[in-house]
Amino acid sequence: MSLVERITTSADAKVWYDNIPIESLYTVGIAGEKFFRAIKDRGVIMGSVCPSCNLTYLPPMMYCERCLAELEEWVEVGTKGTVHTYTVVGVSLEGEPLEQPEILALIKVEGAHGGLVHRLGEVKPEDVEIGMPVEAVFKPKKGREGSILDIEHFKPV
Amino acid sequence: MAMRKVAVVGAGMTKFMRRAQETGRELAFQASRMALDSCEMTLDDIDAVALGTAPDAFDGLHMKGEYLSDGAGAWHKPYMRCYVGGGTGVFAAIQGWYHVASGLFDTCLVVCEEKMSSCMPHPQGAFLTIFDHTTERALKPNLIWIFALEMNRYMTMHGIEKKDIALVAVKNKRNALDHPCAQLAANITVEDVLNSEVLAWPVQRLDISPTSDGAVAIVMAAEHVAKRITDKPAWVRGVGWSLDTAYWTSRDLYYPKYVEYAARMAYDMAGITEPRKEIHVVEPYDPFDYKELHHLEGLLLADKGDAPRLTAEGVTARDGNMPVCPSGGMLGVGNPIAAAGLMKISEIFWQLRGEAGKRQVPGQPKTGLAQSWGDLMQVGCVMILGV
Ligand SMILES: [Zn+2]
Repeated sequence: MSLVERITTSADAKVWYDNIPIESLYTVGIAGEKFFRAIKDRGVIMGSVCPSCNLTYLPPMMYCERCLAELEEWVEVGTKGTVHTYTVVGVSLEGEPLEQPEILALIKVEGAHGGLVHRLGEVKPEDVEIGMPVEAVFKPKKGREGSILDIEHFKPV
Repeated sequence: MAMRKVAVVGAGMTKFMRRAQETGRELAFQASRMALDSCEMTLDDIDAVALGTAPDAFDGLHMKGEYLSDGAGAWHKPYMRCYVGGGTGVFAAIQGWYHVASGLFDTCLVVCEEKMSSCMPHPQGAFLTIFDHTTERALKPNLIWIFALEMNRYMTMHGIEKKDIALVAVKNKRNALDHPCAQLAANITVEDVLNSEVLAWPVQRLDISPTSDGAVAIVMAAEHVAKRITDKPAWVRGVGWSLDTAYWTSRDLYYPKYVEYAARMAYDMAGITEPRKEIHVVEPYDPFDYKELHHLEGLLLADKGDAPRLTAEGVTARDGNMPVCPSGGMLGVGNPIAAAGLMKISEIFWQLRGEAGKRQVPGQPKTGLAQSWGDLMQVGCVMILGV
C-alpha cells in the first residue's frame, strides 16, 4: 500500500514550505534598447530588417535567426495592424473571476514578420473580430517608462 | 563501434563580463556568429546545434534552451540542450562530437551561454536548492561552503599550505592579462590572496572565480568536411565523462575519482598511455585555485598531492613543461558557467593551431586537454584535441 493511499491529508505527513530565494534583473538587450527607446521617446514601433532574407522582425531582433546576420537596418513599421487572433480572459492568474474581462490579441503589422501580443481596448468583447484593423494607443509621453506597457492597448481603427 | 573522425574547425567567444547589456540570446548570437566567421561558414552549412547552459534560474527564464535556440542558430535544425552543472561546457562539446561521430550529421555548431548577472541578489540563491532538501538545505549550504570542506580535506590529506595553492590564482590571473575577453586579469601576489577576505575557511575571496556573463561557440565537422574547411583541423582524439554518486557525503573529497574515470576513458580512446608526456597543454576546470591542482591529479597529470609542487616549480607556467590554463582560466578570464567550459576547448583549439597570440605556449603543442567539472562536485568531462 502506498503512502498516497494511507495519508489523506498532507498534515499527516512531514511537509514544509520553502522557496528559491532569487529575483531576476533583466536587460532589454541591444535590440530592445532601440525598440523601447523609440516607443518611449517618439511613440513609434520599430522593426529590424534582414535584407538577405527579406524579413522585418517585430519585435525587432539584433540578428536574423535564419541566416545569423547582424541586423543594422531599422524601419518604423507604423502603429496600425490587424487582429490575427484573440481571446477574452475571464479569470485571473489566481483563478479569480475578473470584474472586467480582458481582451488579449496577437496583432500583426503589414509587412512585418512576427507581431505583438497586447490588450485590446475601447471595444466590447462581442465586437472583436479576427482581421479587424487596430491601432496602438500610447500612454502620455511623460508617463512612459520604456516598457511594452507604454502602449496602453490597441483600439479599433 | 565505428565512429567517424571529428574536428573542431572554428571558435568564437564574447568578452566575459560582470554585467552584459546584451540579452542571453544576443550573447549566444555573437559567439555563434564569430565561430562561423572564424571558419568562413554560414548557417546553411550547419546540420545540427548542441547548446549548453546552466540552471534556468540564473537567467530567470524557464525553457532557457528554447529561449536561446534562435541566437544559437538552431532555427529549423535538429537541436539539443544539455546541462550537467559546471561540467556543461565540455559536455556540450562531447554532444557535438557524437552528433557528428555517429554519422548522423556532418557539422554541428556547439554554443554555450550564461548570464549570471540576472540572478539577484546572487546566484547562491539558486545554488541553495541543488542540495538535498531534507538533510542539508536547512543548514543553508552554499557552494563556497562545500568547496571549503573539499579544499580543507585536500590540504589536510597532503599537508598542503594555502600559500602553495594561492600560486594558482596568481598564475591564472596573470595569464589572463593576455586574453582580450578576460574579466578579472590582474597582477596579484600570494600575499594578496592570503590577505583577502575569508569567505569560508580555507576559501578566501581571491581563491575564487567571479560570476560572469558570456558565451562561446565552436564548429565541429566530420573529416571530409573539416579538410575542406581548413588545413588546420583540431581533431577530437578522445572524450570521456563520468558521474559520481549524488550522495556526496559518501565520497572522500580529497581526490576526484570521477575525473580520473573520465580521463581514462578519453586517454583510452586517444590511445594515450603516458599522459604526462603526451599531453602538451592543459585547461583543467579552475573555478577555485585548488580545483586546478585537484583536477590535474584526477587527470593523472600529477601524482596525488604533487600538483602544488609542479606549480611552485613553474612546470605549469605558460612557458613551463606542461602549461596549465594558459588562457588565464576561469580565475582570470571569468566564469559564465557553461561558457567557461567551452572557453577551455576553444583555448586548446587556438593553442594547437598556433593562434593564441600573446597566450601562445612555446613548442608547437600537438595534443591538448580540456576538462570541466560540475553537478554536485561529481561530474568530470574531458576532451582531448590533437593536430
Ligand atoms: Zn536573414
